[in-house]
Amino acid sequence: MWMAGMTFSEKMLKIDRRIIFLMIGLCTLLPLLYPVGLPIKTSSEVRGVYDHIESLPEGSVFLLSIDFDPASKPELYPQAIALLRHAFKKNLHVITMTLWVSGTGMADQLVTQVAKEMGKENGTDYTFLGWSPGGQAVIINMGQDLYSAYPSDYRGKPTKELPILEGVRSLKDVGYMVSLGAGRPGVEEWYVFGKDKYKFEMGGGCTGVMAPGLYPLLRSGQINGLIGGLRGAAEYENLIGQKGKAVAGMDAQSATHLAIIALVIMCNLFYFSLRQQKG
Amino acid sequence: MPLEMIVGAWVATGLTLLIFSFLYKDNPLFKLAEHLYVGVSVGYVIVKTYDTVIVHLVVKPIVENGEIALLIPVAIGMLMLTRYVPKAAWMSRYAFAFIVGMGAGLAIPRTVSSFILKQVEDTIRPLLSMTGSDGVTFSMNLLNPASHLNAIIIFIGVSSVLFYFFFSIEHSGVGKAVARTGILFLMISFGAGFGYTVMARMSLLIGRLTDLIEFSDTSYGRPTVWLSLLTVGALFLLARRGREQPPDIH
Repeated sequence: MWMAGMTFSEKMLKIDRRIIFLMIGLCTLLPLLYPVGLPIKTSSEVRGVYDHIESLPEGSVFLLSIDFDPASKPELYPQAIALLRHAFKKNLHVITMTLWVSGTGMADQLVTQVAKEMGKENGTDYTFLGWSPGGQAVIINMGQDLYSAYPSDYRGKPTKELPILEGVRSLKDVGYMVSLGAGRPGVEEWYVFGKDKYKFEMGGGCTGVMAPGLYPLLRSGQINGLIGGLRGAAEYENLIGQKGKAVAGMDAQSATHLAIIALVIMCNLFYFSLRQQKG
Repeated sequence: MPLEMIVGAWVATGLTLLIFSFLYKDNPLFKLAEHLYVGVSVGYVIVKTYDTVIVHLVVKPIVENGEIALLIPVAIGMLMLTRYVPKAAWMSRYAFAFIVGMGAGLAIPRTVSSFILKQVEDTIRPLLSMTGSDGVTFSMNLLNPASHLNAIIIFIGVSSVLFYFFFSIEHSGVGKAVARTGILFLMISFGAGFGYTVMARMSLLIGRLTDLIEFSDTSYGRPTVWLSLLTVGALFLLARRGREQPPDIH
């Protein structure tokens, strides 16, 4: 609350936070309504995932673990759509699953929607195995025997009868694996209990909050690529040439980042000026 | 447009606006949406877990395929429930011992291998690559993560941060300088983490606003417009009612 006798710096430091909310809201809304189309540069970490999928021969097995729930949908859903479109376009055998029980329905909807759009058939071109309890134990179990970890797919069809799983007995038969994780179990568990043990190539996708923690794995080559947050999804959409919700959100992202940088600088200026005034 | 899509759009828009109403101030509409979120999430998880675990992984294989061996993990799991019977609570220790023992046995070697040994190797290996059969080489490109300059920066960062958390020696003299360097690296790391967190939160806001814009279309019946008006109206009425009621002095 502003009081009489307050200096400008004091007033600014005690500004009603709802004014800041409104400002951020407008910085997000206006670029969404009137997009500018700022350029999106592709980073080497996103290109790592794209290049590996691009290098896979037709019919290779691609495993996508959708390890998130609707709470992380804005960031990871566009990543999953872009990855599935790329894999289907390359005619890979796509196996999808989730380690998050709360994301099961959303993952099924996602896979079905993209497969329908790309004209792919369930059981022949792709499968959604659903959720199995155990987290890291499921990964170990899949490394030993995929059919015992998932006796049936999400629709209840026995996995041994699925044409797409012919010749796939365990994780060792997977050509490439990507985990899109919003927490635990996610990318780290897939590396520790999957790739490190059963030696298949893997990449990762994660929310922005998690990205700094996964960069050490990327630098050491433990994962060969990383799609971080909505920005990573936008880069991937650009690479496959199918712009979606992530690219549409990039102008808004840039505008809000600029607004926050300006607010941080102003806040510091007012703070130091107030400290100087008080001696 | 299918009816379920229209109903879904109205529900999603309504709940988003109720949650956003917290930005104005804490109010019963926000609380309603918050409690619905928690309730629906828990309900969904319970139903999915029951269907997948109890029905598909336990009952069906035992009844239809005669997989009697599954009764062993079921029995271990049931021991956990003895916690609720004081006289038999000691039995749950066997189940916990099994879980803790198995979890630790699985996790410790793999975690040490993946997060300690591999990371130590990655910190040292690039430094060793400076000396080869051609003599000493050194690349200075800061933008290339594999350059020798970056390898040295990472080595200094790792060593100084580890020293900062080493409390058996007093941080004075050279030690103070090293510890301060560690703090500097930690602050850069926190800054990067904060930056990514801001990006993530803004992405969530973008996601919701994108949906609200999509649902303002006539094909959905413009739920964004109507429900925004309704939410603002409800907030106005709640604020008026709050002013009219005498303050609670107890």
